[in-house]
Amino acid sequence: MPNHSESSDSSGHLIEEHVGFDPRIISFYGIIGVMLLFLLAGTAYRQLVKSEAYGQSEHQQTQRRVLIPGPRGNIYDRYGRVLVSNEAKFSVVLYLDELQKDFRAESIRIRNNYRALGDKDLPSTAEMEQIAHVTVAQHYLNIVNHVLRRHETINAKDLTLHFSRRLYMPYTLIDGLSREDFVRLLENIPVGSPIQLYTSNERYYPYSGAAAHVLGYVGSGDNAIAEDEPGDDLKTFSMRGTIGRAGLEKQFDSLLQGNTGGSIFRVNPAGYKVNPPLEHHTPSQGENLVTSIDIDLQRAAEYAIGEQIGSAVAIDVNTGEVLALADKPSYDLNQFSPKLTEAYAAQITHDQAWINVAIGEGGTGYPPGSTFKTLVTIAGLRRGTLNPNDTSIDCTGFIHIGNSLKSCDNGLGHHGSLNLSQAIAQSCDIYFYEHGMQIGAAAIADEARRFGLDKQTGIELPTERKKMLIPDPEWKKRVRGEPWTSGDTANIAIGQGDILVTPLAMACYAASLARNETITHPTLIHKVDRATQHSEPIGLTEAQRAVLIKGMEGCTQPGGTASVLSNLEELKIPGIQIAGKTGTAQFGNQLNVAWFICFAPSINPKIAMAVAIRSEKPGENYAGGLYAAPVAAMVMKKYFEKEAAMAPRSLSVSSLR
Amino acid sequence: MAKRFDQARPFITLGVVAIIWIAIPVAVKTFVRASFFELTAPVPVAESYLRDLQAYWSLRMHSNNDLIEAGRDLARVNASYSLSVQQNSALQAENARLEHILNIPPRPDFRYETARVVERDFSAWWQRITIRKGNDAGITVGSPVVWTEGVVGRVTEVHSYTSVVELISSPGVRIAGLIEGSPQPVSYQGGTNPTFSRPQGTVEFVPLQIIAEPSTPKRLVTSGLGGVFPPGLSLGQVIRVEPSTDGLFKTGEVELDSRLSELSEVTVLVPLKPEVLP
Repeated sequence: MPNHSESSDSSGHLIEEHVGFDPRIISFYGIIGVMLLFLLAGTAYRQLVKSEAYGQSEHQQTQRRVLIPGPRGNIYDRYGRVLVSNEAKFSVVLYLDELQKDFRAESIRIRNNYRALGDKDLPSTAEMEQIAHVTVAQHYLNIVNHVLRRHETINAKDLTLHFSRRLYMPYTLIDGLSREDFVRLLENIPVGSPIQLYTSNERYYPYSGAAAHVLGYVGSGDNAIAEDEPGDDLKTFSMRGTIGRAGLEKQFDSLLQGNTGGSIFRVNPAGYKVNPPLEHHTPSQGENLVTSIDIDLQRAAEYAIGEQIGSAVAIDVNTGEVLALADKPSYDLNQFSPKLTEAYAAQITHDQAWINVAIGEGGTGYPPGSTFKTLVTIAGLRRGTLNPNDTSIDCTGFIHIGNSLKSCDNGLGHHGSLNLSQAIAQSCDIYFYEHGMQIGAAAIADEARRFGLDKQTGIELPTERKKMLIPDPEWKKRVRGEPWTSGDTANIAIGQGDILVTPLAMACYAASLARNETITHPTLIHKVDRATQHSEPIGLTEAQRAVLIKGMEGCTQPGGTASVLSNLEELKIPGIQIAGKTGTAQFGNQLNVAWFICFAPSINPKIAMAVAIRSEKPGENYAGGLYAAPVAAMVMKKYFEKEAAMAPRSLSVSSLR
Repeated sequence: MAKRFDQARPFITLGVVAIIWIAIPVAVKTFVRASFFELTAPVPVAESYLRDLQAYWSLRMHSNNDLIEAGRDLARVNASYSLSVQQNSALQAENARLEHILNIPPRPDFRYETARVVERDFSAWWQRITIRKGNDAGITVGSPVVWTEGVVGRVTEVHSYTSVVELISSPGVRIAGLIEGSPQPVSYQGGTNPTFSRPQGTVEFVPLQIIAEPSTPKRLVTSGLGGVFPPGLSLGQVIRVEPSTDGLFKTGEVELDSRLSELSEVTVLVPLKPEVLP
């Protein structure tokens, strides 16, 4: 044991001195030993047993994750022309989390100012902090204002909200900068400044309102989702992405959505970022979509409809690919970026332009009118009640059916004796009233169902009318509790009454007719090697089909209801015979809809169409031949002009000389 | 006790100095820093004068024939420049006429201050040069600096008779540029350039239709849209571009003139109307 000889007054020495051995101290050694053991056990428990849990807790407390959604994929037409892309949106932002020192200094300055004024009307600490935040943010905004010669001010409410909820996200000082302003700032804001230039993206539609109902639009969506991004357990701040709200944007939202990227970074106890991110993954663009739309035909259809209310659908007869699906009134899709204004939304609502009537959105649909006579013809021919050469029916302009007198609304007076093809070409109501009565309502309805007119077409659009309406006696009894009358049969024979179809369904019907089959599945997705569709054949003999086609050709020739197509030079298509059928139907409150279904060429058809143009006001007379047929002719003309332009030119010896 | 204090004295002194430095107001610190720079500035300036003198005497060693030959070469170069000046004058007049018709606000006019390079300070993080003109020549912070082949950089500090210029190879410099064949402005920024490596920069927001490869580089010039640099000054060659992940733009590499690190004389463009600048 140490035995130091120095006296006890040397208390200033660093080393404690003991004199002799004191056995009482042994008990303290034991106590201290137990206490040290206890501390050691506690340390071991925390460091060895609980280390993972504490590590995890530390990881969660000191790290934050920010997720940024990737840009959406582009949408192209069938020839690779961009219909929807992304356009850069330039903004200048402020990284609030880098301004901790500025905020603190400003808070102190504000506190000192109040102190100098004797603490009169002293705000609370939280209020003082808020004032400091706004003052500092305005200071930085003033730098931007100086460069851009603007006079923007900070919205205190927005800033406070951003501060409390999205501190790690950049706070947008000015959004939607022009490219010129953007580059001006780029050169004048120091690289390391908390003010940074930010590019996000917004949807851009090079053709503005073209195919608006097909393409659809996007809206502000949920926060970015990160399925494969690391840091699931971390407190995460996500930037809002976009979500498809209508049309293809909605239908193929999951495909078009970009892949989320993000960063993980460390924060200090006050929650401010420290050091560069620990991990960073750049967001990437979503998949592209190639549609079947031919933008030239689409624009031709929309141009042809003009300011009228109507729809036009063009389908590739063999593949079912939809070449054009126009519906007016429409809207300019570029008005949705960056944000749809209330005024423009009100304008769309006023114009009733939200609804895509071509696919029966919102339960819309029209009776097919006289275009349905082609189906009645097929029903009659297949069942043998209709003889193509029979001219026994004499159209005097009127017929008694049940207790009502029905008139022939097509032609100036009466058609007289007609055979089937003439009846189709001139759309004689009396002829089809009489034959419809012979065929029967149930048979006509069955035939309509065979062509799938009672079902959705299945096009890749989210708001297609779920079910068409093909009425028959059973339906009327079940739904209305009323018996079927001969007047109902007469109505259905000319495509009137309760029957409801969409322009798309009628375009599919026309395409099926063109292929001599019953079902056409339309698609908006283009595939280069898409095979020709096949379904159950219509079941007409060649002679029967020839009569039907002859009638439809006659419709577009002089004397037919769509003779305008052969009379007007602008609508003629050299070398191409259109087979068509007009129709005019009444619906709702004395409104009329003008129909035209057709395909061309009448032999080996390539394109089928349905056009429906409706009246704006009750009582307006709309005839299919005058209002709908010209629209179809203009689209078809464009189609065949393009086809001729694209056809490979054959080399001749003379061309080589 | 006294002995122990003696032992700790250096640490205590260091601590006290550190505390005093922290406590000193920022303005005082800035003043001290600036004074230090001004105080030491004469050394590199004197050194640069000596180098100039050395170059002068080196030239004096040449024969009369060499000087006559050099004079003739210079005359030829001058003749071609004179022609270019005349053509530029005509173009400037035409530009001014068109700008007047289109009511475009006037671009800032500059006065040219030629200055010798005093010192170079190159690292991976910044590339700076110090030039032998400062407040005495009316140079202002932010002024663009050019040389015969294009842009050199931008003035970041101005002292009594020296200025510090950050070169375009420095990551802290960002300029709005134009790639030949495209009217859309792009962002040029200096890169992280290790010492002795060929200086490079990066270019962002490049339109998707631009294609550039080392074998077919594209010229990058100032756009003039940023309001700091006049348009049309060469920045470098875009040697590679590739699509950025957002699908909106391309990003690329810009090769700068390797002589940037050897400059001995530059020209500062001092704005005549600073109020026109942002």
